[in-house]
Amino acid sequence: MSKLKLLRYPANWPLFRTDDRLLLIFIAIIVGTCSGLGAVALNRSILTIFDFLYDYHHLWWAFFFPAIGAVLSSLFLEKIVKEGAGHGVPEVIYSVSRYGGLLRFRSSYSRLISSCLTIGSGGSAGPEAPVVMSGAAIGSNIAKFFSLNDRQRVTLVGCGAAGAISSIFNAPIAGMVFTMEVILGEWSSVNIIPIAIASVAGTEVSRILQGNQIAFSHRHFSIDFTDITASIGLAVITAAASILLTRMLGYMNGVSSRLSFPVWIRAAIGGCAVGLIGFFLPDVLGEGYQPIRAMIEGSFRQGLIAVALAGIAKIVATSLTLGWGGSGGIFAPSLVIGSFVGLAYHRALVFLWPAASWVNEGCFALLGMAGLISGILQAPLTGIFLIVEITGSYEVILPLILVSAVSTTLCHYIEPASIYLKGLVEKGHLLRPGTDARVLTDLSIEELLETDCITVKQNMLLRDFIDIIKRSHRNYFPVEEEDTGYFLGMIHLDDIRPYLFDFMMYDAVILGQLMNTRVETVRPEDDLADVLRKMDENRLFSMPVVANKRFIGMISKATLLDKYRKELIVQTAP
Amino acid sequence: MRLADFWIENDYFNTPLIIFMKLTIKEVARSLDLPSNTLERWVRQGRIPMRRTGNTCMFKKSVLEKWAKNHNLLFLPPERIIENKPEPILENLLPLMKRGGIFYGIKGDDVQSVLLNAVDKIPGLAESQKDQLYEKLIERERLTSTGIGKGIAIPHPRTPLSNAIGHPLITTCFLEKAVNFGAVDDKPVFVLFILLSQSVKGHLHLLSRLAFCMRDDAFVESLKEPPAIDVLCSRIADFEEKLDKRG
Repeated sequence: MSKLKLLRYPANWPLFRTDDRLLLIFIAIIVGTCSGLGAVALNRSILTIFDFLYDYHHLWWAFFFPAIGAVLSSLFLEKIVKEGAGHGVPEVIYSVSRYGGLLRFRSSYSRLISSCLTIGSGGSAGPEAPVVMSGAAIGSNIAKFFSLNDRQRVTLVGCGAAGAISSIFNAPIAGMVFTMEVILGEWSSVNIIPIAIASVAGTEVSRILQGNQIAFSHRHFSIDFTDITASIGLAVITAAASILLTRMLGYMNGVSSRLSFPVWIRAAIGGCAVGLIGFFLPDVLGEGYQPIRAMIEGSFRQGLIAVALAGIAKIVATSLTLGWGGSGGIFAPSLVIGSFVGLAYHRALVFLWPAASWVNEGCFALLGMAGLISGILQAPLTGIFLIVEITGSYEVILPLILVSAVSTTLCHYIEPASIYLKGLVEKGHLLRPGTDARVLTDLSIEELLETDCITVKQNMLLRDFIDIIKRSHRNYFPVEEEDTGYFLGMIHLDDIRPYLFDFMMYDAVILGQLMNTRVETVRPEDDLADVLRKMDENRLFSMPVVANKRFIGMISKATLLDKYRKELIVQTAP
Repeated sequence: MRLADFWIENDYFNTPLIIFMKLTIKEVARSLDLPSNTLERWVRQGRIPMRRTGNTCMFKKSVLEKWAKNHNLLFLPPERIIENKPEPILENLLPLMKRGGIFYGIKGDDVQSVLLNAVDKIPGLAESQKDQLYEKLIERERLTSTGIGKGIAIPHPRTPLSNAIGHPLITTCFLEKAVNFGAVDDKPVFVLFILLSQSVKGHLHLLSRLAFCMRDDAFVESLKEPPAIDVLCSRIADFEEKLDKRG
């Protein structure tokens, strides 16, 4: 029994006693491996289902497949595991910033199964966000098993996400960068090292099981100065496509949530629509890596109009799948749309300036992917490293950086919050480490309570009150009801100063007549940001805290500053 | 280097054993001047170095000191936290009057001569101290008269005498004849209460008590015919009892 206990508290093992960094690295290997396995499992099962159904795609009723998949997936999420739709990345970010990365155990498999059903049946979505969610949940639950603290748990959630992305793309650096840039929003050496280790573990798992293959390999590209200049124009177009996709997703979400049908009917409608599009343009179905491969190799035959149409169709299909209740991520569709956009841009360039010697069209497809990923996630580094790793093409790094940077900037200008953060920002739930909002959420009113106020009774005479003033250190005196002890109002010394020296009033006035009953009060469970806003609006410096109608203390800006500063120091110091 | 040398060099023999002490969450909260629920949250969030043994947290003092220094936080070890000293109990009138002495028939025609003769009576002061005190009293009189009316004056130095006198005291001097003190009501002064205290707080305490006694007109009237020491003392004791009852 004691051995089992020792197992649960690895922080007490002699090896890890001195420093928790070694401990985190050790657990990061476990987390990275597990999330990597999850990613490989999802990838394999999507391929299996997709291949199985592929044989029936020529049949007229094949457009029902995405509908069936979406219905099953939404029913599974809604009825069996009781989790919200969507891809789960915002939930992970919220949990990291608010609850120290606490995630439910069932999250570690629920999105895997639901997205497998959605994507395998042809829904236009990606497997990346679901594996991020499951990896993060695996990390969180392993941390819980070993009874680690919040900071360590957040790191392990990051490890899970990094392991998953690394494994599914065979791209360790992209996994690391994505985690730091999107999930944690904080770069500190304490986090980076375990996350890097988890990326290595996740990548290695995928290499052992699926072989070390680069997803989109290609011939050598030789980039000219003209190509680099042209890439800026591409960045603008990818930014526009990113905005279109973001807006379309939001619009579809709005339309479907206004319908009063049950979730699974909505999913069925969306799925049918996707199936119909897919019937005419099969490239939009599923995660869509085959068309990307063709485009990068330069073997994609269709002309400018067809490619542009395919890009728009993919945007619509993705919004229909995700907005109407399907389950999956935005990552893979972004790559597909990006390569369509890049290819279309190349076709347009060739059409306009046929004489110029442009680089191979595959290069522009690749740049388009980078532009779209950077624009959608508003994470330029993730875009750059992901594309470099999944295409193995370091030679395009210059235009790649350019496209990512410009696309991110433009998207940020039009849509200040990325697709993952939009909902969180709207609800005020985005609490990045070291920010004012984060410090205020962590501090609670109970921690700021000042309890040195003397409470007085409602029926006390002014004469007796004078004696209490002599003893008190504060200017505020809460007034309570005689027998119930309920809070009635406040007496501020400033309000009664003129009467303090009027002997005639000493026996004529009781405190019930002196007190101010229209006081703004605070409850202990109130949000500190709201309390501060209330103070500022009413020009108050301190406010009484009332719980269950009883006065329990004062909260003041002076104490807040002291505690706030200590909290900020402790939160931001490495 | 031998271990013992190392110890001697680092002065380990003289450092109290407390350095190696482990602290509980309450002690750490006090040392950092934070509520313990903040500390508990920091432990949960992993923001502060600690070790968990079972359900209790243990903090190592040396580690915490280093951590606090790195974070620019003030860490006062438990043994160095200054307890709020209980306020020194302020002495009341009666013992001070007894210590200061009550004197009758002080000679003099004006403020200076009266004060000079009165200071001379104050017990337990060296000659030089008496001169010094006299200077201070005159200086204070020049500012405004200490004659508070009804023929009473309370001469005192402007700043408390912290070193000159061992204990606060009140010297009561009945004058041979009433002297014009430039009092607020222009009445000639016939009795002095010389007030020597060591702190502002003590001075105010005595002054407010004395003023309470002087508010009683019958008592002031009775002072005009200098009462015997024990009579005066018993009257003062009565007043003090009233004051104490009032709180």
